[in-house]
Formats: sequence, structure tokens, C-alpha cells
Amino acid sequence: MITGKKNFLAVLITMLIMVACSSSSDDSPSDSGDNFDRGALLVNMADNIIIPAFEDLQTKLSAVDIARGNFINDINQTNLDLLSDAWLEAYKTWQYVEMFNIGKAEERGGDKGFVSFFNIYPLTIEDVQNGAASKNYDLDSSNFHDAQGFPALDFLIHGIANSDTSAIDKFISNTNKEGYISYLTDVVAQMNALNNSFANDWKNNYRDTFVSATGNTVTSSLNKIVNDYIFYYEKGLRANKIGIPAGNFSNAPLADKVEALYKDDVSKALTLEALNAVQDMFNGKQYNGTSTGESFRTYLAFLDRNDIVTLLNSRFDDARQKIEVLDDSFFSQVNTDNTKMTEAFDALQLAVVTLKVDMVNAFDIRLDFVDADGD
Amino acid sequence: MKKIALSLFVIGSILTSCSSDDDNNTDGIGNNVVVPATYEFTREGNSTVSFGGQTTRIQMSEELISALKDNTQTEPILDGMFAHVEGEADFSDANLNASDKSIRSKTAASEDYFKANTTAANAIKADFDTWIASQASEVFIAWDNDATAGNAGKIQEGGGGSTRYVNAKGLEYNQAVNKALIGALMADQILNNYLSPAVLDAGANRADNDAGIVVDGKAYTTMEHKWDEAYGYLYGNEANPAEPVTNADSFLSKYLFRVEGDADFAGIAEDIYEAFKKGRAAIVEKNYTVRDEQAEILREKISEIIGVRAVYYLQQGKKNLGSDNGSAFHDLSEGFGFIYSLQFTRQPNTTEPYFTKTEVDAFIATLTAGNGFWDITAEQLDTMSNTISAKFNFTTAQAGS
Repeated sequence: MITGKKNFLAVLITMLIMVACSSSSDDSPSDSGDNFDRGALLVNMADNIIIPAFEDLQTKLSAVDIARGNFINDINQTNLDLLSDAWLEAYKTWQYVEMFNIGKAEERGGDKGFVSFFNIYPLTIEDVQNGAASKNYDLDSSNFHDAQGFPALDFLIHGIANSDTSAIDKFISNTNKEGYISYLTDVVAQMNALNNSFANDWKNNYRDTFVSATGNTVTSSLNKIVNDYIFYYEKGLRANKIGIPAGNFSNAPLADKVEALYKDDVSKALTLEALNAVQDMFNGKQYNGTSTGESFRTYLAFLDRNDIVTLLNSRFDDARQKIEVLDDSFFSQVNTDNTKMTEAFDALQLAVVTLKVDMVNAFDIRLDFVDADGD
Repeated sequence: MKKIALSLFVIGSILTSCSSDDDNNTDGIGNNVVVPATYEFTREGNSTVSFGGQTTRIQMSEELISALKDNTQTEPILDGMFAHVEGEADFSDANLNASDKSIRSKTAASEDYFKANTTAANAIKADFDTWIASQASEVFIAWDNDATAGNAGKIQEGGGGSTRYVNAKGLEYNQAVNKALIGALMADQILNNYLSPAVLDAGANRADNDAGIVVDGKAYTTMEHKWDEAYGYLYGNEANPAEPVTNADSFLSKYLFRVEGDADFAGIAEDIYEAFKKGRAAIVEKNYTVRDEQAEILREKISEIIGVRAVYYLQQGKKNLGSDNGSAFHDLSEGFGFIYSLQFTRQPNTTEPYFTKTEVDAFIATLTAGNGFWDITAEQLDTMSNTISAKFNFTTAQAGS
């Protein structure tokens, strides 16, 4: 009944089916498989978001250094307050930068890359106090990752050292006051030097590498930036700022693990900046501007997945509402009504699922981490 | 033209073959999932089955529920068992002490139900914390008192039976913890975590499984391991987990054995074992449609264990209420825990439990109103039983005996 010709055709089709089915998932990451212009997206990210953010942080950190100089030349509370203001402005800008652990920024500092030098908290306060006392500290050593950057400045400007009664005593009456002044100066210098090197490398070198790596492999720019972006959202924002203090990864809440513990009343403001940074990045919104360009959002639209765009933006907005009802001080919020903290966490978590499953699948990008929480 | 037509035909065939594995499994093509006789899977001669963490948590839970019945224990000791920290000497078994696992961290902690609902998860964890603390602060200190309405103490089952230790409402906290863990730990982790595509297919799991990429230093792919971890929460304490006999622990294994022993439900143990084997074999064959079909079967059958035992204990409690309160309160305490566990069940092909947390909280409120079991009526127990049975595929009469 079956002719030889049909048999041949059947065999051919079967072979084609086998090839098509077995290679569908392991071959596809080598090219993007769609005709979206990844290069244009990378250009918008580099030129309108990433580089301007690093440059603005340069400006803000310079202002911190000037305020620091004014303070140590004339140590008084007014100048310390001005230093605090400059610190807060820079810390807010940092929220737009922390997700870009790529290029020169990821060369040092271990898995956390440049974040290790800017925003590891909680601070190990003993390292700062012992460093000031002994003048024997090495900010390049991993032992001091948790004793520098914005958290160290937070303590130096707002915290009270052992045996002192106010923050400024460190620099006036403390037996180690010279050490504290040196420590302050060295922390600010380290932050400026590192960020200058990142900003300059982006402008003079890495920018071209970044925008030309348009493929779909683990080392392609979009793959790396998507991984960094989601990791930042899940770990840097959701877990570090909200989840860990709320006790979602421990047996009890840990209020003293909030960001900016010593200033105390800015943890909400910093978190809101971070959420804005995440949402602006998603939508391709120019740093400190209003225009938008090629982005995760337009890529999804290109793929006919506006459903994901709508869902993500509404989840970001919902999370913002849950954060806005929190106390300015997350330390106070955890201690007075931690349920509101976990509700904010839950709202943030909903977007994690959309990012890690829906968006990543739409982009056909492989995540290099599965669960930032660990078991 | 002819070439184009042929190409289209071929493409059509490819699309069909790739997207409809499920349809193909009953006819010749693609029927590649052979169910092995036992739960044994190997790669290049090495077993790929592993669920040590599940065995550990079952054994930690066994020590916890034993300690809850020992009035020489203290709340810190009990808390340490529930929320073990690596290296602390919380248990009699040194292997458990050395473990970095804890019961509490996996209580109400599934990906599907609680990852984005830590607010509810915290409330559930707090319930366990409260039961454990209250066992020490209310019941241990009244160990030698006779329990009366509104007063904790001991109450002996009729006919010279066992002595039970209850709180002021007649509830045995140790039973609440024991039976609620069946839902909050075992069922939640199995049904709403490890059998969920959100976990099985997380990250690159599917691509890795397709390509046979194993976890560093292990013989299994991540997806294989996740399925095994589901298996481990039911069979992890078996002497030979590959060929389980059930009744190997005081949790899900025991109550699968009990439900299997009720003629109305005979066959459920085999159904569950078969579904676990077939789903695991499907992962080996990269047939995720068959895998997910088995997951839905497991969601239905394992949820049914909890539903049947909830109704069973309410009905048993009703029988002795007023005449033998020792026996009645013991049954109602077990029922309390199974009812609590209902919120962790999973209706197949949905994202919903058979009863939501709000519904379960209402049941619990009824059971504990006023003086609790001292006040509850047979009518209330029947109403609750019928409400539960109606959601499942059985009657109160079938479950109640």
C-alpha cells in the first residue's frame, strides 16, 4: 500500500522533525532569532541612561568631597549637616547606578562587583572604629568591603561612636579623632576614584564594546544587562532594602539591617529612588530627563508582548504605593508594624516573577542565577 | 511551487510534533515515557535520585513532635527544634544538628503560594510559634491538673486509654503542630513548590534538562532533583524509598497509609506512587506535558489525603463528644491540624487551594470559639464536615469511617 516514495518522504519528515525538536532550545541562544535592533537598545541605555547616571554620581561625589573638605577645615555641626546633605544627594544618585555591575565595575569586588566598595550594609561598625583607632585599614581589602562606601559615611556623619554622645564627637573629642578624619577622607577618596574610573572607562572605552556586543550569548551586552538588572531588582532592591530587615530570610525581623541605618529617616526615600531607577530603565527613560528610547519595553512591544509591559509597569506602580505608605524610617516601620514591610516585599516580588519568567523567556535570554535568596 | 508546498507541509508537521507531545503519547509517535517498576533512575550507572534535605526535615519534625509531648522540655528547646540553626545541639541526632536545614524556613514557603505572599506566610509561621510556645507556657505547667472547660490540663481517654494534655479549649497543641505541618511543610512544598513549573522550569532548568546538563558534581539535572525533592517529602523517611511501603513517618506517609486502609479510598497509594514515577520518567524523556499531567494527579490525590482525614477526625470526634471527651478532644485536635492544612492543598489545574486561608481561618474560629472543644456541637461538626466533603470527590460518610 505504501509506496517507496511515500516512505522516503515519511523518513525525511521524521528526520526534520527530530532535528527541529531537539535543537529548538539549545541552539537558539546563539542568535537572537528575531529582527529586533539590539544595538539601538544598547545605545540608548549607554548614552541616555548609564553614562549620564555615572557622570551625575561623579558630580555628586565631588560635592561630597568638597563638603568633607569644608567640614574638616572647620569642624562644626553646620558643616557636618552640609556634608550629610551632600551624602544624601549622592546616595540617591547611587540608586540609579547600582544595577550597572558591568564592564570595569565588575572587575573587582568579587561577585558583588563595584557594589562591594559603595553599598555593603549592614556596616561592620567595629572595622571603622578599629580602623580609626589603629589607622591600620585597607579599603581595597575584602575585609573592609563592609566598612566603606555610603554605609561607612552614614555612620561617620550620623552615627555615634563608642563612648561618644553625639555624631560630631568623633571629630572633636574622641581620642581617635585624627583617625576618624583620615578614615572619612579615605572613604570619600576611594568612592571618587573608583567612580571616576568607571565613568571614564564607559566614555572612553567600554561604551563601544557594550553597544557592539549585540548577539545572544552569555557574554552579549543585553544578556549581561538583563541579568544584572533582574539580579539588582531581586537582591539589591527587594531583598536588601525590604526583605532582609522585614525578616523574610530569617526567623525574626532584623531592623538594624536597613539601608542608611544611622541617618534613619531616609530608607524609604532611597528605596523609592531605586524603584524609579528600575522602572525608568525598563521604560528606557533618559536619566534625569523625560524622553524615552529603545528599551526592554520597546523590545517587548516589538515581540508583541505589550501584555508584559502593562503588567510590569502596573506591578512596579503597585509596589510603589506599598512603599509610599511606609514610615520614612524602615527601622521604625519594622519595629512598629512589620506587616506593612512584608506587604511591600510581596508587591515587589510579584514583578520578580514577571521579570524572571515572562520577560526573560520573551527575550530568549538565559539567567545566570536562579534564586537570589538561596535555600 | 512544489518545493514551497513541501516545505510548508514539513513545517506544519514540525509544529504539530513539537507542540502536541501529549496527544502523541497514546498513539505510536512520541510515546516515550516508560514507567519503571520502582523509583530508581540512573545516569551512566549512577543513581540520579536525591532528597537528603527532605529526609532531614521529616526527621527534625519527628523529634519536634516527640518533644512537644515531654513536659521536661522548655520553650527555647522547642523553638530551637522548629527553627534549627546549623551546628546548634537542638536534636538527639548529631546529623540533624550538623544540618543547615530547618523546619520553619520551609513552613508556608512554597513558590506558588507564598513567594509573593510573605505576609500570610509570616502569619502562618507565627501560628506555629504560638502553638509551640503555648505548649510550654500553658500545658506543660498544668501537666498534673485535670483539664476542665477554660483550664488546661490532662484528660484521659475512656476505658483506661491514653492521657491527653490539652489547653483551655481542649486542644492538644502537639497535634495541631503535627497535623498542620503535613499541610504547611510537606503538602505545600510538594504541591505548590517542587511540582510547580515555576520551580521545575526556573532559570535554565528546561534547557539544561533537554541538553542533559547536570548540576556541578552531581549525577542529576536540576529539574530531576526538584521532582525528587517533592518525592522526598512523602517517601523520604522510608527504609527503601525506591519501593515505599508508607507509614514510614508521622506525617504525610502515615496518613497516606491510613487513607489507603479505608476501602473507599483503596488504590490511592498506588496512584500516587505511579504518578511520581511516571512524572520523573517523563523528565528523563524530556516530555514536560506528561510530567505536568502527573503533577496535577499528585495535587489532587495528596490534597485528598488531607481532606479525608480532616472529615474523618471531625466525625470521630463527634462520636465521643460529651461521653468520652478525652477521645473526642484527641480526634478534634488531629482534625484541627488537618483543617489547618487544607489551605495548602491544591485543586488540580488551578492555582487555588480547596479552601483558602480565609475559609480555614473561619473553620478554626468555629472550633476555638468560647471554650472551644468543650462548647462545640455535633451539628457544627457535621456542617463543617459536609462543607469540606462537598469540595472534594467524596462524601462525609465515606471519609468518616
